[in-house]
Formats: sequence, structure tokens, C-alpha cells
Amino acid sequence: MTDKNKQDPRLPDETFEPYEANRRIPLPVYWIAIALAIWGVVMLVQTSHSTLLADKERAALDKQDVAANAPVGAEPAASGKTVFNANCATCHGEFGTGSVGAVPPLANSDIVKAGGAKLIAQIAMRGIDGPITVNGTTYDGHMPNFASALDDKEIAAAASYVARTFTGAKDGVSAEAVAEIRKASAGQDPWAGGAELAAATPGLPAQPSAPQAAADMVQNADVATLVSQGAGSVWSCASCHGDQGEGTQTVPRLAGLPAAYIAKQLHDFQQGTRENDSMAYVAKALTDAQITALADHYAVMRAPSGARPSLDGDLARGEQIAREGDWSIGVPACFTCHGPSGFGVAPDFPALAAQQPAYVAHQLAMWAGGSRHNSPLGLMAGIGKALNDADRRAVADYLASLPPVPATPKVELTAMRSDAQPAKETTNDQ
Amino acid sequence: MTSNHPSDTPPPGPDKPSRGQTAKRVIYAVSGGLVLAVLGSLALDYGLAPGWLTGQGNTPTPAAKGDQAKLFTPPDVSTIPDDDFGQSVRRGMAIFNDTGTNAHDYVGNALNCSNCHLDAGRQAYSAPMWAAYPVYPKYRSKNKMVNTMEDRIRGCFTYSMNAQGSPTGGPPPYGSDVYRDLQAYFFWMSKGLPTGEKPEGAGFGKIDKPEKEPSLDRGAEVFAANCAVCHGKDGQGQKDMNGKQVFPPLWGPESYNWGAGMHKVDAAAAFIKHNMPLSEPGKLTTQEAWDVAAFVDSHPRPKDPRQVNGMTVEDAFNKLHHKHDGYYGKTVDGQLLGGGASPQSAGAPQQDGNSGG
Ligand code: HEC
Ligand code: HEC
Ligand code: HEC
Repeated sequence: MTDKNKQDPRLPDETFEPYEANRRIPLPVYWIAIALAIWGVVMLVQTSHSTLLADKERAALDKQDVAANAPVGAEPAASGKTVFNANCATCHGEFGTGSVGAVPPLANSDIVKAGGAKLIAQIAMRGIDGPITVNGTTYDGHMPNFASALDDKEIAAAASYVARTFTGAKDGVSAEAVAEIRKASAGQDPWAGGAELAAATPGLPAQPSAPQAAADMVQNADVATLVSQGAGSVWSCASCHGDQGEGTQTVPRLAGLPAAYIAKQLHDFQQGTRENDSMAYVAKALTDAQITALADHYAVMRAPSGARPSLDGDLARGEQIAREGDWSIGVPACFTCHGPSGFGVAPDFPALAAQQPAYVAHQLAMWAGGSRHNSPLGLMAGIGKALNDADRRAVADYLASLPPVPATPKVELTAMRSDAQPAKETTNDQ
Repeated sequence: MTSNHPSDTPPPGPDKPSRGQTAKRVIYAVSGGLVLAVLGSLALDYGLAPGWLTGQGNTPTPAAKGDQAKLFTPPDVSTIPDDDFGQSVRRGMAIFNDTGTNAHDYVGNALNCSNCHLDAGRQAYSAPMWAAYPVYPKYRSKNKMVNTMEDRIRGCFTYSMNAQGSPTGGPPPYGSDVYRDLQAYFFWMSKGLPTGEKPEGAGFGKIDKPEKEPSLDRGAEVFAANCAVCHGKDGQGQKDMNGKQVFPPLWGPESYNWGAGMHKVDAAAAFIKHNMPLSEPGKLTTQEAWDVAAFVDSHPRPKDPRQVNGMTVEDAFNKLHHKHDGYYGKTVDGQLLGGGASPQSAGAPQQDGNSGG
């Protein structure tokens, strides 16, 4: 550093003409160029792939429209099996055997024999909510309605498949007939059990009479205001969760979740053990009495599904995860805990059927990342971690394709609250 | 920098000769970074990045198990053939998963095969069927005879499924389609395994002896903290809104009887250690697994169907249970265990004590 400021003897004299040596382009420039080129190509391929997908989707939709308008072919049986296995077999069993003490059989069911495919479609469109006697045994369960989950063609295919395969019927039901049934069923409650079905369909075997419809719970005026208009810093629940509690995007469906689960979540938002800015703000202003009333309000709410598969997930993979699990990555079937068809098991296991797919995928990611950590035993944390992004989207989309849970009947609500407390909240340790 | 030699080519600028070097370094650094960023984002896009980086690893839950690498993978359900044999396999699977419905006449409790043999009988260390099928027929000291697979399944119905409380009062008769379909299912899932060799993953796996004697009090705490969410505070499991049993009862009239393998504390401890809580196997310590197994197995349950013809619990204990690590014949909370918890079990059992469960 000594001679830095001195006149450098090596400097050219004034007459020197500067020239550029023919230097090679530095290696890094090549790298950049190559990298950018690769990137460009990949991007091109990717976009063309997704346009292709979108094109296919649109084509499929067009086809569906065409198919829905076209008269049903003689042969809906093949796809009927698929629709049945994906939507009905979860409860009624692959062979239509039902489940003893809980779900009536379809195989050789005297109801199905007497009413045929048309009656099956009528049942699928509205669901059943009262006692029904099948082959001499009385069941008092809740059959979901598929009006918001399946289109006319799918219901026609499933109903025809059931009638033909399990009772040997010759006739199926056409998509047009199902469209008529859909029109007639619009706005109707579920069938109030076998008695109402028998009144509408001549020839059914004797049915138990439906119990007196439970008096509507006296709607708490305070709650109605909170839900629809809000009060002070409690913003209206409906403004985000929808008029029917059906949710949208990452705002969850609330309709039909167990009351104890809803109440626990609201307390957790309040106390900060579950984190979400909007909900924390809303929940902090709620009293305990309001929380209980809001939980009841949503638990008994019946609402059609507001969810559709929308994350480009692989539905077959999703169905596999939900019904069988993927034990090679340590994930048991979702339905072993969340109940067959994802209807939940009160009080601790929320329903997943018809939940918003973006919300489900988001929650699974939050468990994986540790930002949702208020679950009993941390049961969901390992599951969230084990699923990769594609699996989360797949299972979320499959769950979105299911019919919504028939809401907790009002009569059962009080009974449930008195003997079932939500599990003590435990924080998982990660 | 002082020792720079004059070069033949003229320096690029009038000032410091080191300037070219710095510029070069900057270019290298920037481009290196760019290349890394581009490659990195490509790797991410295509899912090539390792799980620990993205936080969504597909790593299997680590469990206190043996050599995972050696475990057999049974075939996928979608590969069940679409023919008559496949139909039988599917019926077998349906019996396995909803036994109370599909083998209704022979089931005397609220359990399914798949409650203890997880993943429809495919999960290693929860006594998978692919590990059992290739080692039968086999001599069993439980009934002192060579057992065929049919004998063995018959034992499961007799004890674990408490057939004495079923509509027919006993297990499926020899030759029943129930055995046929279940065996077709097991056979199908064992494809490729050598016969006569016990594969890794068989049974419930090993569990070390506990440091301290199992304690019912500690077990009760472990149960309340880790099991009750699913199995209920009273151990009776939980049903869904339609009345379908979703979580199985662990004791009482709707659970396995005193002759079932699971009544032995060591068997239950191994099962629990390797499989429970569901989705978090390995969470419990060895001591906790023993404690809670002892707690579960110290409750009343349906009587041992071999205790017939006026045999007292004491006789049965001496004849059948003295070698077992269990609570049969012991008095817990003032109650002699082994008398039976089943309202139905008063009726005379109609089986011959010929098989094992
Ligand atoms: C979540 C479980 C569940 C699903 C999924 C389900 N059902 Fe049902 N289903 C029931 C229950 C429970 C009943 C009895 C209702 C009652 O007890 O009031 C029933 C009754 C019926 C009946 C009348 C009784 C009989 O057995 O003959 C028919 C027909 C029927 N379901 C068809 C279907 C079809 C078709 C599908 C698929 C599109 C389907 N179900 C999906 C639970 C379910
Ligand atoms: C500003 C929009 C907004 C409003 C207003 C709002 N919520 Fe929410 N709510 C959300 C979002 C977003 C989530 C999802 C939080 C998360 O991602 O963890 C949520 C979650 C919930 C959950 C948890 C549901 C589950 O499945 O775990 C409950 C319960 C809930 N809200 C109840 C209410 C009630 C009751 C009200 C009215 C008093 C209300 N919310 C008002 C946006 C809102
Ligand atoms: C071992 C039992 C278990 C299994 C298996 C299980 N879950 Fe859960 N899940 C729970 C519990 C318990 C909760 C309630 C968490 C809470 O209270 O915070 C829950 C909550 C959820 C929620 C939140 C619902 C809401 O409204 O916020 C989603 C989403 C969910 N689970 C998805 C899944 C999926 C997808 C699978 C299958 C891959 C699955 N679960 C398997 C136990 C389980």
C-alpha cells in the first residue's frame, strides 16, 4: 500500500491509444443465461400444462351439460357403482348390508323393493330424519340429503344401481325424473321418517309414526342479532361465515358442528390458545352465555353444502386417505375418528363433510407448522405433518364433495350437553 | 495488492488494478446466488426438496418398532381382482371391518376385527393378517393341538368377539362362508410371502419389561390423559349420531372376554405401545403402556367361555389362567374379576373350548 498515490511508472504515456483486449465473456454470465433459459422453458411447459388442464376441465363441464340434457342411456349401471361406492357405501356398506343397529340395509330392503329407484332418489334428495322400519327392524338415524352434493345424473345412476343390484329391480330412474324430484323437493325438510314416506308412496310396509316435531327452540333474540347484524366489536357472524353458516374459502362452515366443539373453539380464540386475528377480536367481546347460545344456534342449523372441490386435488387419493388412511406415512383413515362419512363424533370430533376445502387444507398446514395447537392430545398435529401439500388438497377436495351433516336434532342437544363435556384442552408440545 | 506484477495487457482503467477482481467477485456472487435461487425454486416446484426444508415431510411417524425396512407391504385394495375370487376377498374385508354386521350371528360384543388389527388387518405390529396367514397350520399350546387358519379364526370369534353372547351363541360353524371369505382376504393380502416363516411385523411386537410394577393408579391417570378422548371416560367407546360404534369399548359387556389374548397385560401393553394413541404411536413410554394396559385389563368383562359346568373362577384360574399376566381371578376394588360382565353370558355357552383366541 506504500506507492499507491505515487505516479505509477507503468501508466501509459499520453500518446497511448487505449484498446479493449478481446476478453472472454465471464463464466457466470453463461450460468445466468442458461439458468434463465431453463427457467423460461419450465415456466412455458407449466403454463401450457395448466391451460391444458383448464381446457380439459371446461370440456368435461361441457360434456356434463350435454350429458345432463341428453336422455339417459339404457346403462347408468357402471357409473352408478362408482357413485354408490363413493357416496353411499360409507354408511350402507359396499354390499348394501347397512350397519347393525345404526344404518338399515339396502340389500333386499322391503322399502327399496316396494318403492324402487324412484323412491331411492326421493330419499337421497331430501334425506330422512325420523324412525323407519326396514325388514322388521326399526332404525332412528339420520340419512343425509344429497341435493347439494350430487347432480341429477349421479343420483339417477346411484338410485338405479341400488334398485337393480340389491333388489334385482328391472327399472331404474332417469335423470329427467330426478330433475322433477329435485324441483318437488326444493325447500322441503328431510322425510320425517317412514310414516311420511309411506304416505307419499303406496305399498310400503307398515311404518312407525313420526314423533311430534320438536318445538322450535325459542330463538334467542340476542343471538339472532349477533349472527345477522353483530353488536359493537362483535361483527356479524353471517358476514363472514355466510347466512346459512356454510362458510367460504378459508372461513369454515359452522352449520352442524357439535355445539361443545364450537363453544370450545370460541373460548380458545378468546384465550388465545387458538390464534386467528378476526376470530380473536370477535370472540373477546362475547360472554359465556352468548358463546353457549351461538354454539347451539350453529349446531342445529341445517344448511346445504356451500363447498365444492376447488383445489385441483386428486379425489380418488382423497377418498383413499379419508376412508382407509395411508398407514405407510402414519396416517389412519380420517373417518376412524371423524365418523363414517365425516359426520363427526360429538363432542370432540368435528364434522368434516362439506367443510370448505381451502379451510381444511389451510388448517392441516397450520397443524403441520404448529400454529394451530389447541387440539385434544395434539391428535391432528402428526397427521397434518405427515400429509404433503398434494395430499392435503386431495383430502380437502374429497371432503368438500360429501353431503353436509344432518344437523344435531334439537331434542338431542340438551341431553348431549348435560352428559358430555368437551375434553380438557391440552396443548401439544411442538 | 502491492505485489501486483505489471501485466502485458493494459489495465482496464486508470485506477486500482484490483478493481477488475472485485467486479468479477461481485458477478460471481450474484450469479451464483441467482442460479441457486432458480434451481431451488425449481426443486421446490417439483417436490424434489427434502421434507425437512419445506416442513411437509412424508416421513413415517417414528414408532418404537423393529426394522421398518424389512416390513412387508400388502397389495393395494384397488388390485383386488374383479372376479369371483375378488368378490370373496371383498366380502372377507367387509366382515373384517364391520364384523357385527357382516358376521352378525356370531358376534357377541361391539367390536370389529379391525379394532385391534388396524388398517383392515394390514398394519405391522398390530397382528397383521399377512403375517399370520403364512404360518398356519400351527401347533398352539392354548388348545394343545394343531390349528388350521379356520380353527384360529374360530378362536377369535369365541374370545375376542365374545361369540357366547351372539344371536347363535357361538362362533361360525366349521365350513361357514365367514371362514372362507376371511381366509380369501388373508390369502390375497399375503401374496409373495414365504410360507412357514414368521415375517417381521408379526403379532404386537416386543415390549421391554417395565421398570416398576404396573400400577392401576398411574394407569388411570394415563388413561384419562391419553385415551378417554376417544374411548370415553368410562372406557365404553363412542357412537356417532346414527348409533354406529366409532371408537371401541375397552371393557364391560361389549368388549372382549376373559379368554381373549388382549386380556393379558403383556399383550395389551405391546399393542398399546406400538399403536396407541391412534396416529401417535410411540407417544407413551414403556412404563405408561404397561400401567394403562393393567388399568384397562383390571375391569370386568364377559366371562371366559371355557369356564363351564359350574367351574368356579378359582378352578378356571388354576386350570387356564395361572400362567397368564392378567387380572383374572384377582380382586380389584372389592370385586372378584372373571365372573363376567355380560348380561347374556348367563346362558350356557355352546362351544367346546376347542380353539384359541
Ligand atoms: C351418513 C350415512 C349415510 C349415507 C352416506 C347414506 N345413507 Fe341412506 N340411510 C342412512 C340412515 C341412517 C338411514 C335410516 C334413516 C333413519 O333411521 O331415519 C338411511 C336410509 C336409507 C334408505 C331407506 C331405508 C332402506 O334401507 O331401505 C335408502 C333407500 C337409502 N338410505 C339410500 C341411500 C343412498 C342411495 C345413499 C347414497 C346416495 C345413501 N343412502 C347414503 C344413512 C346413510
Ligand atoms: C371477519 C370475519 C369473521 C367473523 C365476523 C366471524 N368469524 Fe368465525 N372465523 C373466521 C375465520 C377466518 C375462521 C377460521 C380461523 C382459522 O383459520 O383458524 C373462523 C373460525 C370460527 C370458528 C372455528 C370453527 C371450526 O370449525 O373450528 C368458530 C366456532 C367461529 N369462527 C364462530 C364465529 C361466530 C360465532 C361468529 C360471530 C359471533 C364469528 N365466527 C364471526 C372469520 C370470522
Ligand atoms: C386420531 C383421531 C383423528 C384422526 C385419525 C383424524 N382427526 Fe381430524 N381431528 C381430530 C380431533 C380430536 C379434532 C378436533 C381438534 C380441536 O378440537 O382443535 C380434529 C379436527 C380436524 C379438523 C378441524 C375441523 C374444524 O372445523 O376446524 C380438520 C380439518 C381435520 N380434523 C381433518 C382431518 C383429516 C383430513 C383427517 C385424515 C387425514 C383427520 N382429520 C384424521 C382427530 C382426528
